[in-house]
Amino acid sequence: MLEDATPEMSLLELLDRLNDQLCEQGEEPIAFESDCREGVCGACGVTVNGTPHGPVPNTPSCRQHLRAFGGITKLRIEPLRSAAFPVVRDLVVDRSALDRVIRAGGHVDVMAGTAPDADDMLIGHADAEVALDFAACIGCGACVAACPNGAAHLFAGAKLAHLAMLPHGKVERTRRARAVVETLDEFGPCSSYGECVEVCPAGLPLTAVAAVHREGLRAIFKGK
Amino acid sequence: MAVTGLLFVGFVVVHLFGNLKVFAGADAFDHYAAWLREVGYPLLPKQSVLWALRIVLGLSVLAHIGAAVTLWWRARKARGRHRRRLGGAESQLAGFMLPGGLVIALFILFHLSDLTIGGPGASASFRHPDPNVHAYANLVASFSRPLVACFYSASMLLLAAHIFHGWRTLLQDFGATGARLRRVWVILGGLIALAVVAGNASIPLLVLAGVIS
Amino acid sequence: MNAFRFRPRPKVTVAESPVLQAGVPAGDPRTAWRRRCAEYRLVSPANRKKYTVIVVGTGLAGSGVAAALGELGYRVECFTFHDAPRRAHSVAAQGGINAARARKVDGDSLERFVKDTVKGGDFRSREADVWRLGEESIRVIDHMSAIGAPFAREYGGQLATRSFGGVQVSRTYYTRGQTGQQLQIAGAQALLKQVERGTVTLHTRTEMLDLIVADGRAQGIVVRDLVTGELQVVTGHAVVLATGGYGSVYFHSTLAMNSNATATWRAHRRGALFASPSFIQFHPTALPISSKWQSKTTLMSESLRNDGRIWVPVKAGDERAPGDIPEAERDYYLERRYPAFGNLTPRDIASRAARTEIDAGRGVGPLKNSVYLDFRDAISRLGKAVIAERYGNLFEMYHDATGEDPYEVPMRIAPGAHFTMGGLWSDFDQMTSIPGLFVGGEAGNNYHGANRLGANSLLSACVDGWFTLPLAIPNYLAGVTPGPVLESSAPEAKEALENVKRRISKLVGNKGRQRPTTFHRRLGEILYRYCGVMRDAEGLEQGFQEVRELREEFWRDVRVAGAADRLNQELERAGRVADFLELAELMIVDALDRDESCGAHFRVEHASADGEAERDDARWCSVSAWQTDADGNHRRLSEGLRFESVQLQVRN
Repeated sequence: MLEDATPEMSLLELLDRLNDQLCEQGEEPIAFESDCREGVCGACGVTVNGTPHGPVPNTPSCRQHLRAFGGITKLRIEPLRSAAFPVVRDLVVDRSALDRVIRAGGHVDVMAGTAPDADDMLIGHADAEVALDFAACIGCGACVAACPNGAAHLFAGAKLAHLAMLPHGKVERTRRARAVVETLDEFGPCSSYGECVEVCPAGLPLTAVAAVHREGLRAIFKGK
Repeated sequence: MAVTGLLFVGFVVVHLFGNLKVFAGADAFDHYAAWLREVGYPLLPKQSVLWALRIVLGLSVLAHIGAAVTLWWRARKARGRHRRRLGGAESQLAGFMLPGGLVIALFILFHLSDLTIGGPGASASFRHPDPNVHAYANLVASFSRPLVACFYSASMLLLAAHIFHGWRTLLQDFGATGARLRRVWVILGGLIALAVVAGNASIPLLVLAGVIS
Repeated sequence: MNAFRFRPRPKVTVAESPVLQAGVPAGDPRTAWRRRCAEYRLVSPANRKKYTVIVVGTGLAGSGVAAALGELGYRVECFTFHDAPRRAHSVAAQGGINAARARKVDGDSLERFVKDTVKGGDFRSREADVWRLGEESIRVIDHMSAIGAPFAREYGGQLATRSFGGVQVSRTYYTRGQTGQQLQIAGAQALLKQVERGTVTLHTRTEMLDLIVADGRAQGIVVRDLVTGELQVVTGHAVVLATGGYGSVYFHSTLAMNSNATATWRAHRRGALFASPSFIQFHPTALPISSKWQSKTTLMSESLRNDGRIWVPVKAGDERAPGDIPEAERDYYLERRYPAFGNLTPRDIASRAARTEIDAGRGVGPLKNSVYLDFRDAISRLGKAVIAERYGNLFEMYHDATGEDPYEVPMRIAPGAHFTMGGLWSDFDQMTSIPGLFVGGEAGNNYHGANRLGANSLLSACVDGWFTLPLAIPNYLAGVTPGPVLESSAPEAKEALENVKRRISKLVGNKGRQRPTTFHRRLGEILYRYCGVMRDAEGLEQGFQEVRELREEFWRDVRVAGAADRLNQELERAGRVADFLELAELMIVDALDRDESCGAHFRVEHASADGEAERDDARWCSVSAWQTDADGNHRRLSEGLRFESVQLQVRN
């Protein structure tokens, strides 16, 4: 359909071009989401030939360049697929289910101005780095779309693991775990397919999934 | 699912040790089988431990299957209309848990009927304990049938795969996040799976080949 | 008000200056903020829930002020056009956040922070505001760290810092190359916490399209639900715009695809003064445009200039591959012209020098629009391993974006529009010239003068959001009757709603042929050419004319496919481009009017013999704040600037 695609184009620039062409033909362009186009905002995400974000592993749609597609010239582009992500229009889906997870417990209860000196709260270099590994999640939802079960454990686990590593986050660890685990009912169960870590643009490890259960079990044994 | 799964892995390993007695000859094997029927005696009545195990395992099987079906149903609902094509080997293994598990369930039924109950599928020369056990003879008679031997061996391969993935999943379910534990655990799972293949799956084939007779 | 008709040639007038008062308490600027805080009026805790504050934007400033006001007990209505608050473009900042904590013995102090920021801004920022910025920076780090931003730590467990953006002390706090992301996520989750508690109502995929001013006060906004297309009036006791900068007016910029100026521009058309629209920072190490389809210019970290050498071929139009150009035929122009700084000259100087080379025909790359950033010498001196350790992820990013391996061939870079120092004019309380309309972050103008220092933008957004607005807004609310908000049937609200409706139906019904994006791209080309890194009167006049013609063509020939009553990205884009077309004119008017060079605003007519910017403090030590009337005429007011704690001096 597109004659003038070039290897330098990103997947989204291909869609831009396709939309130009559609408009030239007097048709309506295809709606799709993208914002920063640097791989950090998490707004973009389409399914390409069955794989969320596209054929290049661990790369968001905006950074999938055609030259890396290894000769695939026929692309079937769909929205991210999951029952938790209803389609809004064309390639745009509603990922607010992810924010419901964060809303329930993915935060730290410290009011503005009340925090103690951050230099007095010692955090080991290694711990800070591990926390950052988990905090790198960009919230694109590809993990859910990649999961044959539609599970959001990678997303939720990354948040739980990240906050459990930090001194302030530790304080409300139990409450947070309960609240977050409860919201996961909206998604599917994890069967350790490991598909999520193949697509995750932030390269989150499967350990994040274990963190969901670690925090959940810990909350059960902690009692009240 | 994880708890019952772990129980089964324990059972399979113990069962495997028992099975290995077959290499020590008929007497050793039959002696072990007889011991199983009276373990705990005279503190406990004969066969009580055996039946306790049977009941626990039986209930666990039901719970395990029940949980599997629930998970399958929840996953199906959460995924929505569009199925996901599976990618790598690990993913394939995960996808094979349910069908593989069904075959294993069928295998267990057959196995019980064949070598414990002596029901349908048992060899023509099957003998119940009278009170001498004939476990070794029953086993050889059963595995001398090529089709049955192949079924046994193939089921053991499935079981190994099932255990390998299930064992790995235990890490997630019990929330093990330590990097070293995770590495060691996966290797351990591989060894158990390998042992099931090397130990259990080899017996029917060796019977068929006439090495065990 | 007719938003889309202008007279053929707007009148540009200058008010008797200086007429603007920023309300900085008299006396020492060092203590102005503390004294102001002490005199702020308060709202009793029991009354707070009777006040509704509208916050537009959920970036660092927006999420901060919404969450903080929610914590204090006010009712907050928060709006974002994104599907989730976390996506605001603060998320993309890489480098870090400055704070004048001065924990190391490297000579840093609050005084030095202020001096660096004021000097960096080339003496066009408000001194007392900068003192506030520095003072509050200390607890910004504490707070962001406490709510979940995992700052980099030393092996002893203390916060790690690095030196950044040309300053000689180490005051930049960071989280790898994703500081903006971590701060933004921490802010967004603090916001969601308040949503869960019921103090903040969050409206995602909802875009502000007009401001409602009644009784001379900002009392509401008109929003469009981007999914259903439904228009709605939302009213409150105060409105905060934290909607970011307008750098995407240049089309190719380091900003996000959806970043736009509509909220601030609509507020401007309702009477809010727009300050220094021509002050735009161009980042010297952006990736160049290499093809027609390229949608943006990705930013590469400035740190690359520590080891990379910037050069162009001596001969214009040299077609040889970089490796084939011998040493003698390369011009390392920064090292040649600025031997003291070499490749580490400040951003604006580096950008200008690159522009000069490219304009002289010595640009490289397929479109001859970039310069080389070469690591060959660094690799042979330090080895590939050291370079990979320092810049591995950046090299990967470059390789990923361009398909070229920077270990083998030099990188190509070009100046790209990056940050806008201008924005809605605000007083010392972050309130615009419309009472009740507040501004935070890059949407405002006050801290960065004519040029922003690296790692100060995350800081200003955090300070505004968490520590200035939550104090300043209650001071305003204390003078407003609590309780009922403006009726949505009030004539001012209905007029604003009608205005938006008219505009949308005009856009959707237009019988044109070209996509909004086409106009946006062309506008960007005009601005880069005439109102870019370097400006001169003749070019600006020409640019003014071309922007005007483009705007007329837009309203004549734009085609917005699809309907208005559902998700329609063409319509969203069209409205934003229409506003950019108006804003671009004011940018040019301001650039033409400000007859001096300062910071990022470089007028060729005002350069020293060695090509440096020459300020004219006698005439221009002021902030230009513009009014645009219903007919599109512009009138300049100005706010005089005085410097007491930092001596006015030529930047060196």
